[in-house]
Amino acid sequence: MPKLIIDGRKIEVDPGVKVIAAAEQAGIMIPRFCYHPALGSAGACRMCAVKFLEGPVHGIQMSCMVEARDGMMISSTDDEAVDFRRFIIELLMLNHPHDCPVCDEGGHCLLQDETISGGHAVRRYMGKKRTHRDQYLGELVQHEMNRCIQCYRCKRFYQDFCGYRDFGVMGIAGRTYFGRYSDGPLENPFSGNIIDICPTGVLTDKPARFKGRRWDFQRAPSLCIHCSLGCHTVVSARYRELIRVEARYCEAINGHFICDRGRFGFAFANHPKRPRQARIQGNSESYENALRIAADRLNSISRSAGPDAIACAASSRSSVETQFSLKFTARALGWQHPVFFMDRLQQDKVAAAVGRLNPDLAISLSDVEHADVILVLGADPIREAPMLALSMRQARRTGAKIAVLGPRPVSLPFDYTHWPMSPGDMDSALKKLLSTAFLETAEGLTETNIKPETAADSRKDPDAPEALAAMLQNSQRPVIVCGTDIVDLYLVTAAAELARYLHAENKRAGLFYVLPCANSSGAVIASAGGKSFSELLCSIENGNIKALLLVEMDPLYQFPDPERVKNALRTLELLIVMDYLPNRTIGYISETPSLSNPSALKQIIFPTLTLFETHAGFINQECRLQRSTPVHAGGMPLSQLTGGSHPPRQFPCDIPGADAKAAWQVLSDLEAAILSTPPAPGSFHELWSRIGSELGIENRAEIPDDLRIFPKNIQPEPGSAGSSPETAGNSQWNSLKADSCYGTEELSTYSPILGRAESALAKKAE
Amino acid sequence: MTAQVLFQNRHPDRIASIEEYCASGGYEALAAALGKFSRPQVQQLALDAVLLGRGGAGFPAGRKWMTVSENAPFPRYIVCNADEMEPGTFKDRVLIHTDPHQIIEGMIIVGYSILAEKGIVFIRSSYESAARILEREIARAKEAGFLGENILGSGFSMEITVHRSTGRYICGENTAQINAIEGKRANPVQPPPYPTEKGIWDLPTVTHNVETLACVPHILRHGPEWFRNLAATSTGAGTKLYCVSGRVKRPGCVELPMGIRLSRIIEDHAGGLPEGCQYKASLPGGASTRFLPKSFYDIEMDFDAMKTAGHRLGTGSIIVFDQKTCLVAATLNMIEFFARESCGWCTPCREGLPYVRDILARIEAGEGKEEFIPLLRRMSKYLCNSYCALAPGAASPVESLLTYFEDEVREHISQRRCPFK
Repeated sequence: MPKLIIDGRKIEVDPGVKVIAAAEQAGIMIPRFCYHPALGSAGACRMCAVKFLEGPVHGIQMSCMVEARDGMMISSTDDEAVDFRRFIIELLMLNHPHDCPVCDEGGHCLLQDETISGGHAVRRYMGKKRTHRDQYLGELVQHEMNRCIQCYRCKRFYQDFCGYRDFGVMGIAGRTYFGRYSDGPLENPFSGNIIDICPTGVLTDKPARFKGRRWDFQRAPSLCIHCSLGCHTVVSARYRELIRVEARYCEAINGHFICDRGRFGFAFANHPKRPRQARIQGNSESYENALRIAADRLNSISRSAGPDAIACAASSRSSVETQFSLKFTARALGWQHPVFFMDRLQQDKVAAAVGRLNPDLAISLSDVEHADVILVLGADPIREAPMLALSMRQARRTGAKIAVLGPRPVSLPFDYTHWPMSPGDMDSALKKLLSTAFLETAEGLTETNIKPETAADSRKDPDAPEALAAMLQNSQRPVIVCGTDIVDLYLVTAAAELARYLHAENKRAGLFYVLPCANSSGAVIASAGGKSFSELLCSIENGNIKALLLVEMDPLYQFPDPERVKNALRTLELLIVMDYLPNRTIGYISETPSLSNPSALKQIIFPTLTLFETHAGFINQECRLQRSTPVHAGGMPLSQLTGGSHPPRQFPCDIPGADAKAAWQVLSDLEAAILSTPPAPGSFHELWSRIGSELGIENRAEIPDDLRIFPKNIQPEPGSAGSSPETAGNSQWNSLKADSCYGTEELSTYSPILGRAESALAKKAE
Repeated sequence: MTAQVLFQNRHPDRIASIEEYCASGGYEALAAALGKFSRPQVQQLALDAVLLGRGGAGFPAGRKWMTVSENAPFPRYIVCNADEMEPGTFKDRVLIHTDPHQIIEGMIIVGYSILAEKGIVFIRSSYESAARILEREIARAKEAGFLGENILGSGFSMEITVHRSTGRYICGENTAQINAIEGKRANPVQPPPYPTEKGIWDLPTVTHNVETLACVPHILRHGPEWFRNLAATSTGAGTKLYCVSGRVKRPGCVELPMGIRLSRIIEDHAGGLPEGCQYKASLPGGASTRFLPKSFYDIEMDFDAMKTAGHRLGTGSIIVFDQKTCLVAATLNMIEFFARESCGWCTPCREGLPYVRDILARIEAGEGKEEFIPLLRRMSKYLCNSYCALAPGAASPVESLLTYFEDEVREHISQRRCPFK
């Protein structure tokens, strides 16, 4: 371990660490432009110059290019080093425009900061500034090439880190140009990160352009809930409107980056049609009135038809608070146990996945980067969990072998072996793999879930199991990635078995499931083997259900047969919808005049809060519990009230559209109204103490990021649909969802930005 | 006439044929290398002969081969750097047009010493005729059994291909050249790992200048002592191709003992300066070396002597300036070239050189200011903290201009015009 002294501070670092990183560990931030912890050293900007006073290296050197070695004495504040850095700043400013007031990066611009702190204030260069033509790079990233200081971060991220080729560097000397061969949308689904890493205003957030300065924004650490990974973000809001989302560093999950869906999918929170006020039969109503009427109706149905004529449903995008408070309310009032999943099979698959994770096998996204063999079973990383593809690429860059089994034409930005197989073929292949290659291991293990049996031939690729077995047996750090979307239940359990066998062979094996939604884990824990929506639908059709509460769940979007749902909804006496989305079910009931008939269905809508406006917990696919912090109080964005006037100003006493409450709060108030008890103050902590006991964790105000919850006794109901490989996947023809680039994930379908980006890409493909 | 080694088959009107080359002892060294000597012996011979890289850096060739480890992976590469683009330098072109087979033989011998089975001649795209000559002669060498499978029955096989550069100065830089061969942007890569460990496609790669390779067969044939004795100084070894251009009567490329005095090269072998012209300064090794003022007129032109005097031999390409030449204009001309040829990777080179160009252009145009002189000094000092050697090389003429000819620069500023116009 090299020991060195930087600016008088002694520090010991790991071998191979560069001086700039060593200084950072000692809390000394050496100025830099091209160096980035995730992209490594480039030595291009020459901004991180320091003076080496003693040790194996002497004089002015770039701290990003020199490894920390024993006996080094380094000064970052030496006069010569400071003067050299001032010289570099002067050079970088030769061609950089002096128009910070009209640049969208102003206020959070690294070049601006370094120019000020470097003391470069007077321009001596009298030559002309070079100029470039800007390119149209699609709907997400704005290009202003004149501002470029050639740090090569964007190229290194785009091509080296991500593996996409349509954006890069051209030309030499003063003509060095970062862009595409011709105008067109960026094809990289992680392109938004070049906005974050660009140290100046060349690449800026196009949808957020000119919406505010960094200091204008309300900012808070938040989470991405557009897939099951739970990447960390920072969200900026202004005038009650969400403006932009940036990546937030998280060592265990997303590192420094997030995908474009996570970055630009936030528009649902600003949606102009978002429910802002309680409504009864389509008419606005005060929260208290709506609550009282809902309680009365529920009470009368409960009296006339019994409490089990009332059903409720939440979804996998709801927070842990929402899911569990619905469960508690239903339990307290004797309603039917809430449903969380559309169909039994999906619920069973998620249960099988979550139930099989344990501290030995569950790995975080960043662990995927260190794998030497990755086997992907029926998952499409770019669409189902985009950042997974980026982590797999990092593993591939260090030599990992990657095999993908699945029926879809998966496209990934690295070399991999694709074995095209139907879900049934995948089952057979895994069965053969488990029963032949790992037979001895399996016999040594107690309580195996799958008994070794005679191998069934894989139908299309009889060689696949042998090839995969050889690959896995030669590995040290294998990772099994398994989807839960198009695969059979058998495959989900078999993936866990395979990981278990590999672990038993003293390999550092990892098991990584891709789940359907941000909080699928929470949903399956809360549901604890309850019914699915399709079973609930049958009960409604049979007339056993009179009232339905849909809490942040949209069956008209999620259920494959929306007509059937519509018909079923019409038979209800009471429909209560709580959501922060202008969801399809709300749209349907408010647009259908027959439903507004007072004598027929009574329908009540409660607006709820997004994770940006309240504390919301989510359990990701590795069972990691994470919570968001409210960014702003919510309410209708000023831009929607003032019609775009400048400055956007209004002078009412109240905040329009601020009636929304967190779903758990509405449920708690509703329960109190039904039971005619006063709502309990401080109930959030109370709620968490109840959730904590359900999850098996002690009540904590602060939940650490590394808290992983591995629930016990979560598994699919015995004998439920699709649990045996013989019945599933045997049909000759399966229809498969072919997602568009940014996916058909529910929340991002409300983002017009992603819609525009999608159609720009589609147009280009034509 | 001094001993002609590399130019022994030089004809004013034609290229030496393979037969002619063989008649003068050509490919005997190859046979000896493959038969008589072991591979370490070949490396030791080059080391004993003090064969220093002729591309300008002067690194001992034998030591470079020895850095290729015995267990290094295959295939290994030997690259002949014929991307000659240093202003004032044209020795490689003359050498290829004189006697191409000694280069090919040199490549095969070096290739054998490191067991490289792939040879690449990386040639400047403007040297199309030289590229065609090499392609033709490589085919002839193959016909004669000196190249291809199982060379001279030794079991060693090697192929040589000619790769045309896309024509950028930076492609002559060793690591940038490797990137260029791989089809990437020609940006230099700072070692470690060194190319002899991880070069083309991360495989061991030894790169030599054309002239260095041409010396190798002669060393093997006549021995290291003979080679060392060719030089005029005790520190030098072998002969050197000196290119002389600028204000001389007979510009051209001449082969002279390493370490011969500058005055002798100019006066005896380039015909001296024309009538009425007096020596003012010269650049000894292309545009990226320092000006040699009159006080260095008798300097010994070898790597060590030049280094001791605080200068660089570079490629040994002498550009002579007389008393009527404006050195500010000459420096500006060279900085124009370097500013254009910067690869765009690091800030001092990409942004600093245009800045220097701007200042020099203003001084030359009579718009100079007193504060430009300390500014230029500061810049030429800081240009040396760049990623590769391009910017420090480009800074050399600027720095030496201010060291030796500050008065001339000040005259430009004080008279508000170029005194030579």
